[in-house]
Amino acid sequence: MRGMISKIIFLLLLTTAFASAQESGPAGSAERGHQSYMKYMCYTCHGTLGQGADRGTGPKLAPNPLAYPAFAVQVRTPRLDMPPYRKEFVSDQELTDIYAYLSSVKPSAALKDIPLLNFQ
Amino acid sequence: MGKDAFDRRSFLKGAAASAAAVLSTQLAANAPAEGAESNSDSGEKPASRDKIIGRPGSDYMVDVIKATGMEYIASNPGSSFRSLQESIINYGGNKKPEFLTCTHEESSVAMAHGYAKVAGKPMGIAAHGTVGLQHAAMAVYNAWCDRVPVVLFAGNFLDANTRRPGVEWYHCVQDPAALLRDFTKWDDQPVSLQHFAESVMRGYKIATTPPMGPVLITADGDLAEEAVHDEKKLRLPKLTMTIPPQGDSGAVTEAAKMLAAAQNPVILADRACRSQEGMKRIVELAEALNAPVADIGGRMNFPTNHYLCRSLDKRSLVGQADVVLMLEVADPWGQFNTISDPHHEYRRLSKPDVKIVHISLGDTLTKANYQDMQRFMPVDLAISGDAQATLPALIEAVKSATSMSQRAAISDRATKLREDHRRMKDRVRTEAAPGWDATPCSTARTSAQLYNLIKNEKWCVAVSSMQWNKNLWPATEYYNFIGGSGGAGQGYGAPAAVGAALANRDKGIVTVSIEGDGDLMYAPGSLWTAAHHKIPLLMIVHNNRAYHQEVMHLQKMASLHNRRMDTAAIGTTIENPNIDYAKLAQSMGVHGEGPINDPAAIGPALSRAMAVVKRGEPALVDIVSQGR
Repeated sequence: MRGMISKIIFLLLLTTAFASAQESGPAGSAERGHQSYMKYMCYTCHGTLGQGADRGTGPKLAPNPLAYPAFAVQVRTPRLDMPPYRKEFVSDQELTDIYAYLSSVKPSAALKDIPLLNFQ
Repeated sequence: MGKDAFDRRSFLKGAAASAAAVLSTQLAANAPAEGAESNSDSGEKPASRDKIIGRPGSDYMVDVIKATGMEYIASNPGSSFRSLQESIINYGGNKKPEFLTCTHEESSVAMAHGYAKVAGKPMGIAAHGTVGLQHAAMAVYNAWCDRVPVVLFAGNFLDANTRRPGVEWYHCVQDPAALLRDFTKWDDQPVSLQHFAESVMRGYKIATTPPMGPVLITADGDLAEEAVHDEKKLRLPKLTMTIPPQGDSGAVTEAAKMLAAAQNPVILADRACRSQEGMKRIVELAEALNAPVADIGGRMNFPTNHYLCRSLDKRSLVGQADVVLMLEVADPWGQFNTISDPHHEYRRLSKPDVKIVHISLGDTLTKANYQDMQRFMPVDLAISGDAQATLPALIEAVKSATSMSQRAAISDRATKLREDHRRMKDRVRTEAAPGWDATPCSTARTSAQLYNLIKNEKWCVAVSSMQWNKNLWPATEYYNFIGGSGGAGQGYGAPAAVGAALANRDKGIVTVSIEGDGDLMYAPGSLWTAAHHKIPLLMIVHNNRAYHQEVMHLQKMASLHNRRMDTAAIGTTIENPNIDYAKLAQSMGVHGEGPINDPAAIGPALSRAMAVVKRGEPALVDIVSQGR
């Protein structure tokens, strides 16, 4: 039951966040964001391009990241095993920059265009 | 051979007078100096440089080892078993067993660990007294946790009266096995050659009887170096292997009824199989029930391309299951429960009324101190038996217990299960695509490139720091994957892969390993062993320049302590300077390529390395990689 409630709250947050992101996107520097992304070693779990990692270590973040408010909620008060990154140690500006970096990531080749991933 | 020892001094007694004069001089020289303390009370004899032992005890020890069928003795040389080593080489012809030179006892044991999982039989290890056994300890613990047979021979001089002063005392021990007794299945310290013969046969048998595990037998140095006395009285015992025990027939029937009546049965298999036959039996059982199987991976248990393979969906399957059959699962509690990290919040994953059956020999081999038994898990039916040996009876019982209506319900499940399997496979392929051209290289890409290289071969992944291989590749053979280290102790990967490759060498199976850089640095000398003994192995270094998992732990702790989180690299990364693994390999006579940063270079580098492996030699490719 507790798990169900937290799922509902999270979905509500995502919905709200998505709506507000449509109204005003955050301003940040992708270049600085990349530096912060590496400095805080976000890549250890999520990959250097935010592509996610083997064994479910960290989910895929990019391209097309979550709307910024939902992204910020997850970073500040995360679900599951991710540690919270608080304002005192990762500033709002840094977070905005990281988001800008993730937003700048170009899509990888599509699955259908990678013959080596056809294991049939 | 077979001669008793003879003393050249006795022989010379009947020789010419001039020779007698020489002997007299020698005896005089060996006599205690005037005023010196006599050793006669201690039973010591004056030394003779002419003493020859034509049939040392260690020759007989080699006869015993040969009788077990062990083909190799992996070892770093040590004076406490020097006689045994010499007998293996010169008396035994260095064949069956062959002496394998290792650069660390941890590597010797890990090599034997990987070998046993492929060969299906143990390799011997020789370890030098206190120092060798302490070096070996971690790898012995891995073998214990993984229930893998290893036969250790410990060199030692029990008789203090014969030890040389100084180092030999540091290296000798009253009870050699004490150090390892918490994680070995059995040990003995024979005091006669007959005792040694019986203990080796007993030890081999105990090690290879499920649940398997390491055993330790002391090969006493004096026993090895002294002559065989009255060999006619020695008897080499016959070695008869123990048939693995089946579960109780009544309990098996009860389990079958539960499974036949289940709406959502699930099979979890961990260290269940010992051979291809075991895999066939699990397939037969799963198909009889249309029950999805999650292969936890302690061994290769289930074909990854079978429509009932759902290893990646294990958690959701357990959550929906009404009956779960576990087959030799090392961590039963962990399949049904989680504890979050670092807040230790408990969560039950399964329904409260799920029925659980466990076929395992786990309860028959536990010790108090080390906690590899995992958290206690109450189950509804615990069947003490070897999973593979019990499966034929369980399959027949399931078929007998299944009513017509149940059979129809079971059959109806197939369509959805096939679709669920296809979805799981599509999902993992989709997850593998992002970052395909990334630098550092994507681990999924490395995995896919490797499969492309070996897909038309008979292949074995001996070690892998990534899960993509099992999740992406079609794998149908027992030898394809051999599971992990057991105890998750670092230093296993490289030597275990070399051991597995040795066992595969004559079977025409290409052995590959994907080795974490941190793990490799524990035992890089195993590369030299592979080169020296011409063991073909394609090793990829998953070079993420970190003890990757520890980075995450440090991040968690900094957050928990409300402190800065940009310091997690301190003490957890392996850079500045970066290690050049290709040069490391080359320095030991191994073909080395890298560091590779461009993902487009992976394929060609692997192809070149494979050409070396095909020549019967090891090769290493260092790929600078994403964390995972």
